[in-house]
Amino acid sequence: MRQRVATVVWRVVLAGGLVCGVGLLPWLTRTDPAYTVLKARSAEREPSPEVLDDIRQQLGVDGGPSHVLGGWLGGVLRGDLGESWLSGSDVLPGVVTALGASLLLMGVALLVALVTAGVVCARTLWLGGQRRLGGRRSGGTGSAVLASLPEFLVASVLATLVGVQLGWLPALGWYGPQWTVLPALALGLPAGAVLGRLLDDLLPGAFAEPWALAAAARGLTGRSVARQAVRRCVPALLPNLGLFVVGLTGGAVAVEQVFDIPGLGRTTLQAALAQDLPVLQAGTLALVLLAALATGGARLAARMLTGPALRDGALSSLHRPAPPGRLLPPVLYGAVLIVVVGAGLVRDPLALDTGERLRAPSLAHPFGTDALGRDLLARVGHGALDTLLLASAISAAALLLGVLLGLVPRVSAPLVDMVNAVPPVLLALLVTAAVGSGAATPAFAVGAVAWAPLATHTASLLRQERATLHITATKGLGAGRAYLLRHELLPAVLPPVLRHALLRLPGVALALASLGFLGLGAQPPSPEWGLLLAENQPYAERAPWAVLAPAAVLALLGALAVTAAGALRRGPRRRRAPSRPDSPGGGGRAGGGQAVVEKEAVVVR
Amino acid sequence: MRSHRRPRLLAAFLLTPLTAGCFASGGGDSGGSGGKGGDGDRLRVALAFPPAENLSPYGADATLLSRLGVTEGLTGLDANGSAAPALAESWRRDGEKVWEFTLRDATFQDGSEVTPAAVADSLGQATRAKPAPAALAGVSLSAKAGSGERVVRVTTDEPDPVLPLRLSSPSLAILSAKAYKGGRTDAAGTATGPFELTKVNGATSASLDRFDDYWGGRAQASGIDARFIADGTARANALRTGELDIAEAVPVAQAASLDEGARRDTATTRTTSLLFNASSGTFKDAGLRAAARGAVDTSVFAKDVYEGYGDAGAGIYGPAVTWAEGKRSAPVGRAKATEPGGDDVVRLATYDNRPELPEAAQVVKQQLEKAGFTVKLTVREYSRLEADALDGKFDAFVLARNTLLDTGDPVAVLASDYTCDGGFNIAQLCDEDVDRAVADAEKIADTAERQDAAMAAEARILGSDAVVPLVHQRIITGVADSVQGVILDPYERALVGTGTRR
Repeated sequence: MRQRVATVVWRVVLAGGLVCGVGLLPWLTRTDPAYTVLKARSAEREPSPEVLDDIRQQLGVDGGPSHVLGGWLGGVLRGDLGESWLSGSDVLPGVVTALGASLLLMGVALLVALVTAGVVCARTLWLGGQRRLGGRRSGGTGSAVLASLPEFLVASVLATLVGVQLGWLPALGWYGPQWTVLPALALGLPAGAVLGRLLDDLLPGAFAEPWALAAAARGLTGRSVARQAVRRCVPALLPNLGLFVVGLTGGAVAVEQVFDIPGLGRTTLQAALAQDLPVLQAGTLALVLLAALATGGARLAARMLTGPALRDGALSSLHRPAPPGRLLPPVLYGAVLIVVVGAGLVRDPLALDTGERLRAPSLAHPFGTDALGRDLLARVGHGALDTLLLASAISAAALLLGVLLGLVPRVSAPLVDMVNAVPPVLLALLVTAAVGSGAATPAFAVGAVAWAPLATHTASLLRQERATLHITATKGLGAGRAYLLRHELLPAVLPPVLRHALLRLPGVALALASLGFLGLGAQPPSPEWGLLLAENQPYAERAPWAVLAPAAVLALLGALAVTAAGALRRGPRRRRAPSRPDSPGGGGRAGGGQAVVEKEAVVVR
Repeated sequence: MRSHRRPRLLAAFLLTPLTAGCFASGGGDSGGSGGKGGDGDRLRVALAFPPAENLSPYGADATLLSRLGVTEGLTGLDANGSAAPALAESWRRDGEKVWEFTLRDATFQDGSEVTPAAVADSLGQATRAKPAPAALAGVSLSAKAGSGERVVRVTTDEPDPVLPLRLSSPSLAILSAKAYKGGRTDAAGTATGPFELTKVNGATSASLDRFDDYWGGRAQASGIDARFIADGTARANALRTGELDIAEAVPVAQAASLDEGARRDTATTRTTSLLFNASSGTFKDAGLRAAARGAVDTSVFAKDVYEGYGDAGAGIYGPAVTWAEGKRSAPVGRAKATEPGGDDVVRLATYDNRPELPEAAQVVKQQLEKAGFTVKLTVREYSRLEADALDGKFDAFVLARNTLLDTGDPVAVLASDYTCDGGFNIAQLCDEDVDRAVADAEKIADTAERQDAAMAAEARILGSDAVVPLVHQRIITGVADSVQGVILDPYERALVGTGTRR
């Protein structure tokens, strides 16, 4: 009980700190709000002192930060969220409308994501249901490629191809159900690929549990067994699903832009850039509340699914030693990547020749040229080093931080919710305020978010792992906490989290590029991959190769990371692997009695 | 198991009306309902800039109102950049500080008469607005009903030779007394233009109906459904799918995706230039500025970066300022170029709000590097960049600038951008000869002489090598086949007029 109260207090403190941080944004970043508001209203207006003074008076910021924040807090207590500094209209109706649009988009996108996840796992589910999974591993190439596709690219391709060329669905606007399909696909496909990949990672463990064998022996159909396997694995993913709910609601800026959807992402982006504090605070508050709801919902659902088993410590570990993935795919992907990068490195990525712009691939330019006539192969090759080094470094740091914080979910869970709910631009601005705009700032800004899903994943896996019988048994044998952590918990949790981190590596590279407009990160003409994608996006229809080349190498990188992680699945625990990988009680951790207890704990319904 | 499914299905049905509230109102398919048969269809128009201030007539949103044919001022601008009659039929100067405007017979959209008292009151409201409209920055004027039945007298504290030009600014539109009731100024149903604002859905869309009693005759279109779509690709896509009749400002990159007949381009007063910081850093040295100017080959910008939707940089004013070309003289007082050394680092900056600018800047970078400079490029969002640029933190800056500003007065841009006291002097130019030439031009009232003096000052400024005009932009408007009478305005103040129809 005391711990629960402490968590609630911590959550409230964090939310309060965040809202105050937003309220102090101009003073933290030392950027005059009158100036940013003026520029958002009218970019060409000369920022003369008189004009700025007038705006300051109009906004009431001449009283200083405490005055502004105090006034806002007083208003919130009365249910008044204030008036937008930009337009002067009431904040609440605007934010509610935007939130409604975003929630609807998120809902449909989540539906798409779930279907996508189902497709990704279909093979494992089918084989598992038929008890033919033994030894086989899905490569994960397809889902890794899908997961590494940038949302904005999927969005523009869908809008042009399906919306304009084929005319099947409206390409723009937000007026009814048929308008939701394309944006939801753009958001849902990559998200679903990530979720599906994570689920696919756990499923073999579930199929290897004793109940599955018992169920099959009792003559249950493959479908029922598969359904129960999903039910068994989903609780570990629910917290991550909760993160997607909030992330898709507040962070769909690119998709909202392409399809012109009046959603919360664009609203908060504009407010953050203009330092329109009332709107920014209301938007952030809405997302923080949504995050709390999503977390609560995920927890409730997890309890409904595995509550008694969790409480009684009657689960079995889903993390059994698995057969290593095939070695061929990663070697193949790696070789292709090395060849492409090597071929690019000997060319000049900066030599521009505007007469040769947007040329299709040819012998002289195997990947074609971009809008300034630069050779794309050269740019892809030269960008590889920067992109890979920085993205890998951030991913590694995020993995470390995520696992460490995942070990203390009471501290980290509210923090995760907070970080995940804050719009990325706002977070970047806050990070810039904290560490200045140096060379490392973009890395900090991206790293500040990247750890959150990993921590959540770690925490939820740990929660399940702690409730397994082999832990009880090991405890019974007198093992201390440190021993448990080192020899039982971490070895079970780390591999899936590592694979998760690798799956998100391309996303980190893209996130880095998306901060460029704040003057953070790589600047043109650097051939960094995220930047390549962004600068060629306007030409996606006329010169598809210009975006396909960087997107393809990014996808290749994703596929390489995931398959390599699969191939590296050997390690010391393999020595303890039984001869039949999907035999009950595999791993030999808790002895023969485990099978019986587990079967009763997770009743086949 | 089965019994659980039905309630779930039912719940989905119950949710449907709930989700309806989550969509944007004002759909695209309401377009045809305006009634056919000689009464004119409604026009579906996409504008590039969403209203930032609830369509307040005093800020940048004023241009939106004038583009949609809602508001009008006392005067307008004609093709030669002189003041043309609008709500005022004629005007004359009465002494140094007084101008008299004779109004035409017009009515406000709320039915009331456009009287001298109403006009004077409307102008008075504009002078009291905080912050003041850009066209009135640094000017104080008062207006009152004059002696004649239809005469308004406008008095300025200082002599103002360009007052008729100034009053053409969209932010000085004339509204009826009803507009000023309540807290904010509201142009809905209170302006004088051919179209009347009936509904505004935040920054998403707006509906307009024809104003039947417009003094210039009834508009052919029965109304306008305007949408604000910030993304250029999205605007082009909407036009291609037939959701729109007119799409404003199609980006150069998307122009090729439109049919040949659907893209109309027109020269604008916007010039993209390369500015050199003449007060500090590498380009303090006029010789190096001359060397850099010589290194920049301006021909490639219009042809390649702007794909032909631009004219090669000739001066500060482009071809849209029709009188400029004939009056242009060679730059005066250029320094001799000196060879750049290896340690001459150039901090070049530009912004990404206009997608062509980063591309142009990268071309400039390569050209300067070929000449021996070391160039470091910074690209940011405009509002994150401007303050640093005005503080002189960069050596060179690629800027797209409207050369006729809010007033339509050609001298104003020279004063603000290239004089010691100028408020927008990114070039950090402080040169006695330039200041004198600009001050001379500012005093002249006669339009032709003022233009001559402006060109003399331009020659001085170009001679200082603080600015290299790269390209004069053309704006591309996407127009559906069936649409006629779209106004392609070089000043970007008009788009839809009485003759626009589909």
